[in-house]
Amino acid sequence: MSQTLYNFKRIHPVPTSSDFVDIVLSRTQRKTPTVVHPGYSIGRIRQFYMRKVKYTQETFEEKLGLIISDFPQLDSVHPFYADLMNVLYDKDHYKLALGQINTAKNLITNVGKDYVRLLKFGDSLYRCKQLKKAAMGRMATIMKRQKDSLGYLEQVRMHLSRLPSIDTNTRTLLICGYPNVGKSSFMNKVTRADVEVQPYAFTTKSLFVGHMDYKYLRWQVLDTPGILDHELEERNTIEMQSITALAHLRAAVLFFIDLSEQCGYSIETQLSLFNSIKPLFGNRPTLLIMSKSDAKQLEDLPEETQNMIKEIENSGAAKLSRLSSYLDTGVMETRNMACELLLQYRVDTKLKGSKIKENLNKINLSMPKKRDSVQRPSFIPEAVIGKQRYDMNDPNRRILERDIEAMSGGAGEIDEDEERIIKLAKSIRTKKQILAQQSRLKNNVNRPKVTNKIRATKLTAQNFADKLANKDNLDTINNTASNLLSTSAKRKRSLSVANKGLGDELARMGTNSGAQFEQRAVSVSRSRVDAGLKNSSMLDTVMKKHAKVQRKSNLLAKRGESDRQILTKMPKHLFSGKRGNGSNDYR
Amino acid sequence: MPQNEYIEKSIKQHGRRLDHDERKRKREARQVHKDSQFAQKIHGLKAKIHNKKRHSEKIQMKKTIKMHEEKNANQKTGDAVPEGAVPAYLLDREGQQRAKILSNMIKQKRKEKAGKWDVPLPKVRGIAEDETFRVIKTGKRKSKSWKRMVTKATFIGEGFTRKPPKYERFIRPMALRYKKANVTHPELKATFQLPIISVKKNPQSPMYTQLGVLTKGTIIEVNVSELGLVTTGGKVVWGKYAQITNNPENDGCINAVLLV
Repeated sequence: MSQTLYNFKRIHPVPTSSDFVDIVLSRTQRKTPTVVHPGYSIGRIRQFYMRKVKYTQETFEEKLGLIISDFPQLDSVHPFYADLMNVLYDKDHYKLALGQINTAKNLITNVGKDYVRLLKFGDSLYRCKQLKKAAMGRMATIMKRQKDSLGYLEQVRMHLSRLPSIDTNTRTLLICGYPNVGKSSFMNKVTRADVEVQPYAFTTKSLFVGHMDYKYLRWQVLDTPGILDHELEERNTIEMQSITALAHLRAAVLFFIDLSEQCGYSIETQLSLFNSIKPLFGNRPTLLIMSKSDAKQLEDLPEETQNMIKEIENSGAAKLSRLSSYLDTGVMETRNMACELLLQYRVDTKLKGSKIKENLNKINLSMPKKRDSVQRPSFIPEAVIGKQRYDMNDPNRRILERDIEAMSGGAGEIDEDEERIIKLAKSIRTKKQILAQQSRLKNNVNRPKVTNKIRATKLTAQNFADKLANKDNLDTINNTASNLLSTSAKRKRSLSVANKGLGDELARMGTNSGAQFEQRAVSVSRSRVDAGLKNSSMLDTVMKKHAKVQRKSNLLAKRGESDRQILTKMPKHLFSGKRGNGSNDYR
Repeated sequence: MPQNEYIEKSIKQHGRRLDHDERKRKREARQVHKDSQFAQKIHGLKAKIHNKKRHSEKIQMKKTIKMHEEKNANQKTGDAVPEGAVPAYLLDREGQQRAKILSNMIKQKRKEKAGKWDVPLPKVRGIAEDETFRVIKTGKRKSKSWKRMVTKATFIGEGFTRKPPKYERFIRPMALRYKKANVTHPELKATFQLPIISVKKNPQSPMYTQLGVLTKGTIIEVNVSELGLVTTGGKVVWGKYAQITNNPENDGCINAVLLV
């Protein structure tokens, strides 16, 4: 799909001037600190108010800058859009509005700067506050003066975002002609745009875009409002839209005339319009389409009018075509003709352009010369030539296993010549195994291998502990340990905490309690949570009280004693005494 | 109808839903209650803004209602002479209009009596020196303190050159210098931004006048050539006196009334 270069839908909404002020001031209120006291040092007070002024100024600048950058500049958009916007919104008005916004932005910048400078000399909270108030008031006044420009820009934005997105570079068919000659009906036949069709003039008041496919390409069809035959200066906004489209789009022009004169205009006036806007067509492919051919044909007309139309064709200004949207005759033929003409035209212009040389260099069609007269035909083996193409219905075809199966009476009936089938199955199975082996080798080239058994068991501390608790295991471990100990030099040692517990357990189980391995005792830190408490219910109440006390300071995110803190960043006694080579003459 | 206005197109083709009008009426009737709930719920800055908006709306509404009422009510014209004899107790009624004119005349006379050099702001608050001047300490040990910085708005003539910093007693910062004043013409009821020519008198002290300090009540001379005022002799006036009516150091601008 062809991409649209201009997207006017992304322009941000423009608030009204009073909304604008509200938005900015409330943002200042939200995003800057709000508490200040006269007891603060004056520098802090000044800084507080300077920040407010500066923030307001920046927010205004940002918002106004967004408007300026969002709206398209008429000089930089495609001339078609520039002209269309000129017709719809008046270029001067548009530029003026944007210019005023820009001026307002600069004024606000200056006000902000001035008042920040004045704030530096504010000597009390009251004075600073007054200056801040004055600054914001002046900014708001500047914005209030932009009421009309902002309102206008919002209107423009809403209209602009609803313009149909017309691609200025793609293949386009442009439908034009007098009002009520069947332009929109043709459009509805060719595309799915669903343009309103009514039996009165100027039903279509703006440009309409439809899309269609031809030769696997995406085409754009542009329906324009009707044009009357008069001077350019006298044309109104509706007609001017058609004229801008005619003037700027590289498209095939389909000029519609109504031979039956049901539209209310004579053939002569319609043809004179064609002649008067002919300069706009340039050398673009042009079709003169006689619509409503169900009502009247070219041959039914008097001789003179016939000659007038034929003259146009003979002069090469346009190709003739006829169609009837009512009977659906000639519609597709006309469309195809227009598309072909435009494609040819586009190829021609491309060939004429300078860029084509770069591309032509890349294309090379080589035509090798014959080296000698030796024939070098392509080689096909005899067997292949002799082989016949497999055909299900041929009685002399190769016999497949499924044929044998079918002959012996359907699926599962294999008792005839069983041995052959078994052999076949075996060979298939071996082939399959080999393939599986190969793929397995391919997958495990450089991976360490772990047996499935180990992979299945989970190695956790719990598992290990369970294993140790197992009585049989413990016995063996204890026996080996006691053997080792009996051979080594003996020294009485206090039992470790772990061994003590273990010893009790073993004693209960009736095993040899003396055969424990003895270690040096380790001092164990006791939890101090329950120190000095009689029982668990007391502990509970204490914990509850503790949580209740902490709740508030946690909610307020206050600093607690467990938080890391640096009390003094540079303790004087650590940093004094080593001075640089300063200007002071005493040390 | 443009291509993208599909809602309008649909309405045109199929019409609105049957209960559209009733829904609309109900929604409008409900709106009052919704507004009230909103007004009761909000607080803080939003409430302040909302209340102010409502306040001005209400005033506007009352004004329009009053205007309509006035339009409908019968008004008595002051000049209308009542027909026939009037009882004594009603004789005063007509005299009211005249009485007002009389009092105006008295006011006018009093004004003239008061003298030619009456100024709009006859009294000003005294400003202490330490409010105007900030002491700047100088010297190697920062022990000297004979330098002052003027912390009020000042006017400095075009040809002024600063003294060398070593000898400069009064520093008048660039940020607080002003060249223009917003001058209101009391009779025209219009305000113009005019260049200041000089400071004529500062009521606080002659030193302030010399320094060109601009405080509330100061008489300044402004360039009125823009206004095109003409003397009785036919000459164009270009310098005129004006009195400052605001605190420039608080507002960041100078507002003045032209003395005529």
